[in-house]
Amino acid sequence: MYKILEKKEIAMRNTWFKIHAPHIARKTKPGQFVIVRAFKNGERIPLTPVMWDPEEGWIVLVVFTRGKTTARMAAELKEGDYILNVAGPLGNPAELRKFGKILAIGAYTGVVEVYPIAKVWQELGNNVTTLHVTFEPMVVLRNELEKAVSRHVVETVPIDPNIDFPTNMKNVTKRLVEKVREMLKQEEYDLVFMVGPTGDQKAVFEVVREFGVPMKADLHPIMVDGTGMCGACRVTIGGEVKFACIDGPEFDAYQVAWDELIARSGYYTDMEERAMQEYMKALQGGGQ
Amino acid sequence: MPRRKLIKERVPTPKRPAEERIHDFKEVNLGYTFELAVKEAERCLQCPYNYAPCIKGCPVHIDIPGFISKLVEYRDDPDKAVKEALNVIWACNSLPATTGRVCPQEDQCETNCVMGKVGDKVNIGKLERFVADYARENGIDEELLFEMVPRIEKKDQSIAIIGAGPAGLTCAGELAKLGYDVTIYEALHEPGGVLMYGIPEFRLPKSIVESEIDKLRKLGVKILTDHIVGKTVTIEELLQEYDAVFIGSGAGTPRLINAPGINLNGIYTANEFLTRVNLMKAHLFPEYDTPVKVGTRVVVIGAGNTAMDAARSARRFGAEVIIAYRRGEDDVSARVEEVEHAKEEGIKFEFFVNPVEFIGDGKGNLKAVKFEKMRPLEERDSRGKRKIVGTGEYVTIEAETVIIAIGKHPNRLIINTPGLKVERGRIVVDENLMTSIPGVFAGGDAIRGEATVILAMGDGRRAAKTIHEYLTRKREENA
Repeated sequence: MYKILEKKEIAMRNTWFKIHAPHIARKTKPGQFVIVRAFKNGERIPLTPVMWDPEEGWIVLVVFTRGKTTARMAAELKEGDYILNVAGPLGNPAELRKFGKILAIGAYTGVVEVYPIAKVWQELGNNVTTLHVTFEPMVVLRNELEKAVSRHVVETVPIDPNIDFPTNMKNVTKRLVEKVREMLKQEEYDLVFMVGPTGDQKAVFEVVREFGVPMKADLHPIMVDGTGMCGACRVTIGGEVKFACIDGPEFDAYQVAWDELIARSGYYTDMEERAMQEYMKALQGGGQ
Repeated sequence: MPRRKLIKERVPTPKRPAEERIHDFKEVNLGYTFELAVKEAERCLQCPYNYAPCIKGCPVHIDIPGFISKLVEYRDDPDKAVKEALNVIWACNSLPATTGRVCPQEDQCETNCVMGKVGDKVNIGKLERFVADYARENGIDEELLFEMVPRIEKKDQSIAIIGAGPAGLTCAGELAKLGYDVTIYEALHEPGGVLMYGIPEFRLPKSIVESEIDKLRKLGVKILTDHIVGKTVTIEELLQEYDAVFIGSGAGTPRLINAPGINLNGIYTANEFLTRVNLMKAHLFPEYDTPVKVGTRVVVIGAGNTAMDAARSARRFGAEVIIAYRRGEDDVSARVEEVEHAKEEGIKFEFFVNPVEFIGDGKGNLKAVKFEKMRPLEERDSRGKRKIVGTGEYVTIEAETVIIAIGKHPNRLIINTPGLKVERGRIVVDENLMTSIPGVFAGGDAIRGEATVILAMGDGRRAAKTIHEYLTRKREENA
């Protein structure tokens, strides 16, 4: 049981949880993740610590409301409550060394995973530019990133209330791709790094490949245990099957079988939607 | 005991009919009542301790005639009979409700039962299960614990156990009984290891596992969940804090099939499928948040106990299930009872077929599996199984779901520990179960590759003994 020391909505659908988890805070390195199980009947979901303090024993998670589990976390958990399970740190740390000029990209809440890595890269003497592309009301960590890296660029897209969310997201992808192309044209980079939805990672990779710049991506396949036991998170890297949880989560974007990963990531979409709808229905029913 | 007439036939245990049980995850076998248990216990010939083939066949050497005799001796006082019997079992085995259900008794204690020469062998497994279940349901185990705990003489040495599965739990229980301060480090959110994530509810109800673990807690064992040794804490760090370490991290890494299409949607490892169902309760979706998808046609690849568990679980989602095995029926490694149950439940078997390709629907989802037909040779391999060769003929079976149950490798996070000697993925130990790192012991699937619950428990018990000797030496050296 891990106490929620602080909880706040820092942007639309973005919830900040500061959690007492000394066993994680002591060991976490940038690029590693944790598995959270927030409720007795909840899923185990991978989340990435954004900041942490080994002395005080806390970690911060910024959770994007995406499905039932994350919606429940945003709606039902309060400061002072306890999260049932936080396991980790899992996965391998990011490659923390001198690359030169780095473009680190976060789409939506993916930027919270970029933050700890970009910060250390900058401290190691790299010249880091971070790019955050998201909807207007979903900008997070702007001040933190402005302080941490050479240049932080925020590109926002308005939410059109007349079209559905998936269609709106296409506009973000479009802007993201345009912006990356523009930035790669303007300046030469030694490395591109990207965290965000797999489809957007692939779209960005296709642009980066045109410029021939090395690219790493933090992958987010579906996970269950996160410790190498189940194989749900298997991805094909350079023709070989790897487990993102213990071999990753960071991989060379040029080696990733993107279409396979996109298909795998969408396997439960229909069930996730059903769970969300039933949860919303129950919420409305309960409020009457 | 007075001489009596031999009863050749086993007293049957009631079990739920197949057509009823394939619609739920409740337990299949209902076990003995006290009266039936006594009747079965009376069949035991009471071979002397030094001769009894059942004791020799048991990996933890339970005094089997000893506990069975208590049921007959105190037949007029069921509580007393069970308490005495449990006391005998507990001397060697702290998880009898589990082993009574999942041990392959036909290959162990029951193999050489003398009754087998004249009739059916004594149903030792079901008797063990009866004692454990009756004790739990009537608070007799609590009573026994209550008497036992104050007698334990506390020692000031401490042990860290890695993994709360059968090996770790057994080792922890034995060391706690000896008075040591024991802490188990478990990666998942629930202790139990394979007993929780792997073996299905209908074979081993999770409430029973929880109750067995609860007893260990009452013995003073501490359990830290969410701690992944190798990540959250290293073995090196544990050695600074504890006087000894036991690794019981199991064989958690699933083996995959090296065939095209292995990453199509719908292909699960047995570990993933069973974890989703057993640990995460995906069969109760959306009341439980974790989903699982079971097609109308499911192919399970492999023929061990895990394959039976996966197949029978899939059947309970309403699927048509085929177990496909590259060898023949004689080489099936699952327990006889599990194979029988699977057949009763309408699961089909295809023998001598080896998967060569997983065929997709063009959208990333599985549509069919292509198998090569195999042919057995007279020659046998090192495990005594007939060798097989491909025939060049192929057969395609349509399926939306495939569950791969061809085995597991030891957990990779632990075996990467510096200084820990590992051969072919298995931790190397000496005759005392000590690894290449002094003070670090190991047992169960982490050293065996892939075995059974009871062999892991046997290792846990043996390691507890050698750890006790090691720590006693250390204590004397420091005195």
